[in-house]
Amino acid sequence: MAKKQKKQLTAKPTRNSTDSNQRTYTIPDYRLEKPDFDVRQVRKGSKVAYEVTGDMSAPVPPIRESKYLNKKQCIEIYRWMVLNRRMEVTLENLYKQGKVVGGVYFGLGQEACSCASAYALRKEDWFAPMIRNQGSTLVRGFPPRDIMMQYMAKAGSPTGGRDGTSHFGDIKDRNMVAPISMLGDLVPVLAGVALGARLQGKNLAVMTYIGDGGQSTGVTYEGLNFAAVQDLGLVLFVESNLWAYSTPSSMQYRVKDLAERAIGYGIPGVIIDGTDACQVYDAAHEACERARRGEGPTLIEAKMMRMKGHAIHDGADYVPKAMLEFWRKRDPIARFENFLVNVKKWLTSAENQKLISDVETQVEAERDLAVASPMPEPESAAGGVYCENGCHEIKPKYGMPKVKKGTAATLERTEAAIHLK
Amino acid sequence: MPQLTYLEAIRQGIWEEMERDPSVFCIGEDIGIYGGAFKVTDGFIDRFGPERVIDTPIAESAIVGAAFGAALTGLRPVAEFQFMDFIGCAFNQIVNMVGSAHYRWGAPGPLVIRGPSGGHVHGGPFHSQNPEMWFVHAPGIKVVCPSGAYDAKGLIKASIRDNNPVIFFEHKYLYRRIKEEVPAEDYIVPLGKARTVREGRDLSIITYAAMVHTAIEAAETLSKEGIDVEIVDLRTLAPLDRDAIVTTVRKTNKVILLHEHSRTGGLAGEIAAIINEEAFDDLDGPIVRIAGQDTPVPFSPPQEEYFLPKVSDVLREARHLKAY
Repeated sequence: MAKKQKKQLTAKPTRNSTDSNQRTYTIPDYRLEKPDFDVRQVRKGSKVAYEVTGDMSAPVPPIRESKYLNKKQCIEIYRWMVLNRRMEVTLENLYKQGKVVGGVYFGLGQEACSCASAYALRKEDWFAPMIRNQGSTLVRGFPPRDIMMQYMAKAGSPTGGRDGTSHFGDIKDRNMVAPISMLGDLVPVLAGVALGARLQGKNLAVMTYIGDGGQSTGVTYEGLNFAAVQDLGLVLFVESNLWAYSTPSSMQYRVKDLAERAIGYGIPGVIIDGTDACQVYDAAHEACERARRGEGPTLIEAKMMRMKGHAIHDGADYVPKAMLEFWRKRDPIARFENFLVNVKKWLTSAENQKLISDVETQVEAERDLAVASPMPEPESAAGGVYCENGCHEIKPKYGMPKVKKGTAATLERTEAAIHLK
Repeated sequence: MPQLTYLEAIRQGIWEEMERDPSVFCIGEDIGIYGGAFKVTDGFIDRFGPERVIDTPIAESAIVGAAFGAALTGLRPVAEFQFMDFIGCAFNQIVNMVGSAHYRWGAPGPLVIRGPSGGHVHGGPFHSQNPEMWFVHAPGIKVVCPSGAYDAKGLIKASIRDNNPVIFFEHKYLYRRIKEEVPAEDYIVPLGKARTVREGRDLSIITYAAMVHTAIEAAETLSKEGIDVEIVDLRTLAPLDRDAIVTTVRKTNKVILLHEHSRTGGLAGEIAAIINEEAFDDLDGPIVRIAGQDTPVPFSPPQEEYFLPKVSDVLREARHLKAY
């Protein structure tokens, strides 16, 4: 069993063709449990509701030890996760105080996926979060007050109040592409970032996320297929959190596991437990290394559950209680805390408490700064539609490699065929 | 000075920019070995290599999205749409990902989306469209529609050098029917500036793309009747050259707005509103619109002829407006 655990997480698919029409690929599954339940719409008296069936009694598995992370790194990831959650708790309080404009989106239960994945990126790699990946923006160097100011529509937000939530970016230092509300559109854009970098002689890892709901869109397919055929280093985390607003996975797709889609794209796929920070990191790390070697994209399906509603207004009463109970026991922060304090004994109880209270102090200071910052002037809505008058100097970020030009072709040529008469 | 077709002028323009600036590259369907459906990139892959002339799967959203991603790393992609009718397939990427990016998060998108548009070739509803207005309406996107070879070369070079997303609508009917003298040395035609094609005193026709030639033909006939027509070619639809519009109205006091695109929601409505705001007192007659029908572009030649604005439409309206 130990031997199996040491196997490489994102092996290339094995292709066994028993006859010319059949191919079989293996999709490695590195979870230590494989929960199997189904959510269906059923009629209960006068109402139609969701019902979950399946065995929900399994005990919580242990954290799978990482092949790569040392003690210091594990504690850092843990701290990012604690910061992620503490910031979202603060955002919820700010919302209840009426200080947030619009809604708040939570990544509760998904902190391991957001933080441990971004932790695998190097400074020069690019990424783009989705709405619940605020943790990844923290890991990449955005202070909590930036995210709070985004939600409070403050003048000092990274977008100057022009967009909210996680819709900000940074092409200079933190290499983040701003998401938009439409789902899947980041996939081809990140593929293009990898393409642009490669044209400049650099194989980067680029990482983004898509939900079990979001992956249904056509643009997801177009983008990942393009990355696959061009061998671009796109690490795509499919965050299988079982609910797309009020739509369960059973009404979103027919495959058993979204990682199986990798077969259709012709790329490696892997299934991991999204509530296990070590599994998340290991899969991310290996996929990023593949990307940096120029070996193309990887599809990582991280299984977990969205523990709050779609947004703060959504009480998510439609979620069967048994599912919430099952996944509450698998809270990523509680699991990792147990791993660090009780299993590895890398943190004493006192050190853990200090870490948590330091995070709380940090978040409170950030909140105070964000709350005190001003709203934008109305006139600041004008301008900036075009890039003009030298507002940006655009040049290749990584320098152009010397591409040898062919000498044969010249500019002159004669009559050529046309497509339509 | 060499005489080039409209198509060859575009081809040379892109080629020269790729020679001059190694950050320029081409991406699109069948643009590599095939040289593009209309041969605009003929010979490019031999000269610049497959790294800079990239054939894509049939995935317009991915073409635009990937071009934008590459632009974020500081490159200047030129993305080809085999027919601009297919631009609807990438609408969300163009308008919501790329067009508003500079406004929202300060990220410029220096990409050019180019391809053949327009009718007169019996292409039917999906190979004859003029989709420019969807993008004239969207903030952050520049829209260019050249009418001749000289302008086409200068404008494609200017578009590639522009830091904003530019949608470059080439008129397929003009590809091989227009031949003009085009300088061999480097020159650009600035975006956002109209051109007076023909000076006149009696009335102005403000138009663009293939309709410029319809206007020229009509003007020649009208001049024999003593009607002296001024023709203004807009060249760039967004940003619009409001000064040129106002100047010509102040000069002739009567104006016909002519475009191949369907009447409702077409550019003529926008220009009429601008004239109303800025030159109402200079008008000696109503603003006249001549435009395509409010239908999809039909396929059968007699039906397409019914759809398209014709020289006879311009003659009729000009005579009527002159007499007003």
